[in-house]
Amino acid sequence: MSEQTVQLEAALKIHLLLVDDDLEFKEIMQRHLGRIGIHLSVSACCLDALDLLEAQSADVVIMDMNMPGMDGIQCLRKVKERWPLVEVIILTGHASVKSGIEGMESGAFDYCLKPIDVRELIEKIELAAQKALINREDALLVPAAPSVAPQPKPTP
Amino acid sequence: MSLSDRIPTLLRRLLRPGTAAPQPPPPDQATRQFTARARSFRDLRAARAGALKAMAELETARRDGRPPSMSFIRARCTLATVNVFKIIRHCNQIVDAHNDEPERTFSRLRQRIETILEARREPVAGKKLLDLVRIDRTLANLSGEKMAHLAEAGAIGGIRIPPGFVLSAAATGLFFQRNQLYHQINHILQQIEIADLEDLYRKSAAIQELIRNAPMPPKLETLLLDRFDRLIDAGAACRVAVRSSAIAEGIGPTAFAELYRTELDVGRDSLIDACKTVLASKYTPQAISHRLAKGLLHEQCEMAIGVLAMVEARVSGVCHTRSIGGPNDTLDLFYAPGVAKGIVDGTRSTGHLRLERQPPHRIVERQEAGDAIEPWLADTEAAVLAEIGMRLERHFGAPREIEWSIDPAGALFVLQSRPAATAPTFAGPTPPPEAGRPLLHGGVTGCDGVGCGEVFVVRTVQEALRCPRRAVLVVRHPLPEWAPLLHRAVALVAETGSEACHLAILAREFGLPTLLSMNRATELLANGALVTVDASARAVYQGRIDSLPSQTVDRPDPLESSPIRRILAEVLDLLGPLMPLASSSPGLRADRCQTLHDIMQLCHEQAMAGIFECSRRAGSGQEAAKRLHDTLPIRWWVVDLGGAMIPGYDRSRSDIEITDIASPLLHAFWTGMQHVPRQKPAASGLRAAAAALFRTARRDGLAPIRASFFRQKNYFLLSQKYCNLSMYFGRLFATVEAMLDDRGRDSSIAFRCAYGPADDSRQSRRIEILAEVLEHFGFRTARAGEALTARMDQESGPVFFDRLKVLGYLVVHARQLDAELAGPIRPDRDTCIQAIEEMLHHE
Repeated sequence: MSEQTVQLEAALKIHLLLVDDDLEFKEIMQRHLGRIGIHLSVSACCLDALDLLEAQSADVVIMDMNMPGMDGIQCLRKVKERWPLVEVIILTGHASVKSGIEGMESGAFDYCLKPIDVRELIEKIELAAQKALINREDALLVPAAPSVAPQPKPTP
Repeated sequence: MSLSDRIPTLLRRLLRPGTAAPQPPPPDQATRQFTARARSFRDLRAARAGALKAMAELETARRDGRPPSMSFIRARCTLATVNVFKIIRHCNQIVDAHNDEPERTFSRLRQRIETILEARREPVAGKKLLDLVRIDRTLANLSGEKMAHLAEAGAIGGIRIPPGFVLSAAATGLFFQRNQLYHQINHILQQIEIADLEDLYRKSAAIQELIRNAPMPPKLETLLLDRFDRLIDAGAACRVAVRSSAIAEGIGPTAFAELYRTELDVGRDSLIDACKTVLASKYTPQAISHRLAKGLLHEQCEMAIGVLAMVEARVSGVCHTRSIGGPNDTLDLFYAPGVAKGIVDGTRSTGHLRLERQPPHRIVERQEAGDAIEPWLADTEAAVLAEIGMRLERHFGAPREIEWSIDPAGALFVLQSRPAATAPTFAGPTPPPEAGRPLLHGGVTGCDGVGCGEVFVVRTVQEALRCPRRAVLVVRHPLPEWAPLLHRAVALVAETGSEACHLAILAREFGLPTLLSMNRATELLANGALVTVDASARAVYQGRIDSLPSQTVDRPDPLESSPIRRILAEVLDLLGPLMPLASSSPGLRADRCQTLHDIMQLCHEQAMAGIFECSRRAGSGQEAAKRLHDTLPIRWWVVDLGGAMIPGYDRSRSDIEITDIASPLLHAFWTGMQHVPRQKPAASGLRAAAAALFRTARRDGLAPIRASFFRQKNYFLLSQKYCNLSMYFGRLFATVEAMLDDRGRDSSIAFRCAYGPADDSRQSRRIEILAEVLEHFGFRTARAGEALTARMDQESGPVFFDRLKVLGYLVVHARQLDAELAGPIRPDRDTCIQAIEEMLHHE
């Protein structure tokens, strides 16, 4: 565990949400992130992820683009629309320039390809978490801006 | 007006052409703004590193001639493009005035890259089912090469082919499209670790399962079964052979050589499953590896399927109308009882006849199989086969490889007729006396040549997974399953098989020295033993026989003019060179960007200018850019991007000491600048160089190297693990950009320097010496005119810092080279290297 990671985790209390139906990858991430004390929630599909974000906050979402139920880009747009301060890292096993640019234009923090080195992904998570923290600070300085958590459920 | 006084004006001109300068924000806001922009600059740097890494990997693949997969190219292009997108976005967050031009250029380039990567091929249109009797080569794009050639052979008088029909590429394309299979397959292919054979086998199995489980569109299923019923009604046998007929198959040097499956004895109930199994065989490990080695795209390797009535075979075989190992005026016949499968996969012992190509096709060589009680093939039948073979060769205009069967009634059927694969020619010398007695001798030559390596015996797939690179591959049967190992091996030895077997055909395509029918090879050749295989002399020797001309066979380049190589070249043209000489490029303007690399460089420069401008406004009246004290008469400015200064240093000061800076990167560079060689105390070192430069540094009339504000000021942009140094020494403009990654993976040092317009003849030699010295210390260099670029990647620890010292030394002493070049003792590379080595040794 790097000193930087420890400091970062302590400062931020990073809360991650992983949206992926790849069981093997979920286990790897849980093992690595568990070791450095970062709390990780997991959803197996986009709709579950949206429900989970309603119920509890997250700083960073790692999202696989190829998920059952909803197109990854659609899901990303919904997340950024409802929770604009949350940073989303896209992860995909199907690289395409089109989806990469669409993802970035839709507000993703980063776009990564599978297979990915877990250490590299953790570095990206750290950067995204820093950005999420700054988002929060900025939101506090500008009262009109939305805050990360707790966030009210939309009225039906 | 002094140069430094002119900077604000120049900056405004550079950043906001044609617009009025905005009013500076209040101080506290300006400080926040600087912090935010410094953060964006950090993210821009990270994105730039990501883009450069992806571009470098593609460039390496092109340069090394390694066979990249399409997934590899697509992934790297995506990473490069996404990162350049991020760079533009970060740049826009840093500069005051938004410039649309890079975005427009980016959008145009990105669309072109997408188009190239899609490699879109119009779906094959046409009939879903074709009668074999109505096909010829003009329909090969629909029926596949194999079926088109077979059908055309059948149309020649006196040549029989089995009755049958073809499920066209339009139909199989529909099957893939309806089930969205290519999307799912690409998803799996992207994650294959191709060097890891176990992973290759696992992912191959997953793809094949995906295809076998996909439903056949109902209309296609009905069509297939109806046509099968009509075939049976017409009197054909009630069993069929289901054969692949790939569109790319047999074209030019690219032969898939039965890497795809053939299903025999298929009844009505299993017809649909058999068709899907054959389609799935497009993704066997051997087919995936073969496409990779050939640079072919799987989406473009479409496949039709031939459904042919089974021939009850008494004897079957293969005819090569141009002998593989014999004289040019002979042809080869290989044969065995029953179906031909055992011959082409090398598992059956076969008879071999060599006949004259000219009628009456006299037999010149006969080799009956060891287990044959009586000849399997009558001489008259052999002559008929030779005659048919030569007629097919005349019809198609080139040597053929013909698969055939003879039924119990004596009727001869041609089952396949395709262009023969040619082997590289090799004049095998007589083994030298020192080669001694061979470990093994005999067999047949599958492909000429000599290979030396350690023996690796493969009997099972599990053993194949452990096959090391550059091994002498020893197998019992030359099965197609071993095809993925061919590109790892230096030679192949098999206990069975003939020149006709498909692994031998593949070996010839790769120019891999191959010996077949070497009895007891798996017993007599011990794993790990170093041997030399002389396929031409049909011998295997113990140890390395240096006098044999190893590697003398010109191996064909399988990637030459392959679709993958073309795509790689096209996208690299749009991405840009890895080592551009931007510092001398006149084209670094938004409206002149032609590659993603140009955009990246432009944004990087604009962002640095933005940071510098912002740093001036930050703080309560104090500039964020601090002047480095004690460097008179040259002025150095330091901008802290975060973490570059020692804790607790006084930010309100406008001047700082070198000891206020914590950045180890700058300190290493500074050490190099300060070093004074023992031999030249009077004229060397920063202070001496600075004094010498003082007169020229502000000389009017020095033409700019490029339209950049950086040449107006010496500055260091610093953070904890990053530095960007820009220096202007007389007519020498130099930049150093270094990024440190503790693991070394993403560390890089980039150095660029350029001299002003030539005013003497010494410049070439000066750049030459610099390049030679840099190369000595492990930098890669590139020159363009009087500009030099050098890079070093993936170094960390002491080496990384030593190289920064080298650059520090060179930047200061490059100017001094001028004087030395004009003097009586000409400086050379070795003197310079010696001085630097001395510095590194003593520091």
